Amino acid sequence: MTRPPATRPERVQALRRRLGKVQIPIALGMTVVWMLLFDGFRLREESLGLLVLGFGVSVLIMVVFPLPPVSEGFRFHPWQFLRLLVYFFVQMVQSSFQVTWQTFTPGPVLSSVIAVRMRTDSELMLVCTSIALSVIPGSVVVEVGQPEHVLYIHHLGTRDEAGTERARRDTWRLEERIVRALGTRVDIAKLEAAETVGTESA
Amino acid sequence: MSDALTAVLDWVAVLCLLAGAMLSFVASVGLIRFPDLLSRMHTAAKPQVLGLLLVLVGIGLRLLPEETGIFTVGTLAVVGLFQVITVPVAAHIAARVGYRTGRIDEDLLVADELFDRLESEDRATGTRRYRASE
Repeated sequence: MTRPPATRPERVQALRRRLGKVQIPIALGMTVVWMLLFDGFRLREESLGLLVLGFGVSVLIMVVFPLPPVSEGFRFHPWQFLRLLVYFFVQMVQSSFQVTWQTFTPGPVLSSVIAVRMRTDSELMLVCTSIALSVIPGSVVVEVGQPEHVLYIHHLGTRDEAGTERARRDTWRLEERIVRALGTRVDIAKLEAAETVGTESA
Repeated sequence: MSDALTAVLDWVAVLCLLAGAMLSFVASVGLIRFPDLLSRMHTAAKPQVLGLLLVLVGIGLRLLPEETGIFTVGTLAVVGLFQVITVPVAAHIAARVGYRTGRIDEDLLVADELFDRLESEDRATGTRRYRASE
């Protein structure tokens, strides 16, 4: 190795390295948020300028604050995503009524903390599942068991063994919907493999 | 836009706003009614999300016929998106801290599968951090 080169090329190289870390899909997502904030989708003279400026700002943010890449990536399945959305909203409305019912019936409301092992290794799927779980009423993620991907979920209104089992199955169904909508081929294969094993043992 | 359509949209908007307000009301009743932190989290964080989304839809429907120029459907979408993304983080942190500091009523738990794990973790590290109430 020779001596490090002069300051200027070194800086250029550092900048280039940082630019290489910019993740275009995330920058595009940030641009969409920017456009929504500035009402850029209503067509007028400055719309194109807003678009370019938004993208510029997103790239600048990612150059100044570089983040590690989203681990394994994801794959978008439009039809399955639609099914996920429908399932999600049905669950949300249904559990909202359930929680409302539990609120207005007298007597103590029992609950339980259950452990649910995720069937895929993808961190992204884990995050998506816990976000969805937390938004759906009746379940809160209390703890994430890190190396083995176990979610510990507090479930409201589970009175007995059957209730906890139902809650577990619901969580798995939600995970399945999410993986089928956003998972890579590897994730889906893992999910299906785990499912066949699960039915055999059950 | 025809008058009839505007009227229908108005009514749908009114219903959405009303349902959203009702859900938020349920959330506040639940806060008082439930005994422990984890149960309260459910009502504090949840019907509220659906309630807020319904209110946003209601406002959006009211905004469609008239251009205000201050904020639009796009702004409402951003509000909804960030609400859905950020609420789980807050809920998770509160639940985790509540559990780990022993702020839960064990009599109300049918099953607790996390307890064993934390206990074995405690044995491994030789500390005793959890269940301060005991």
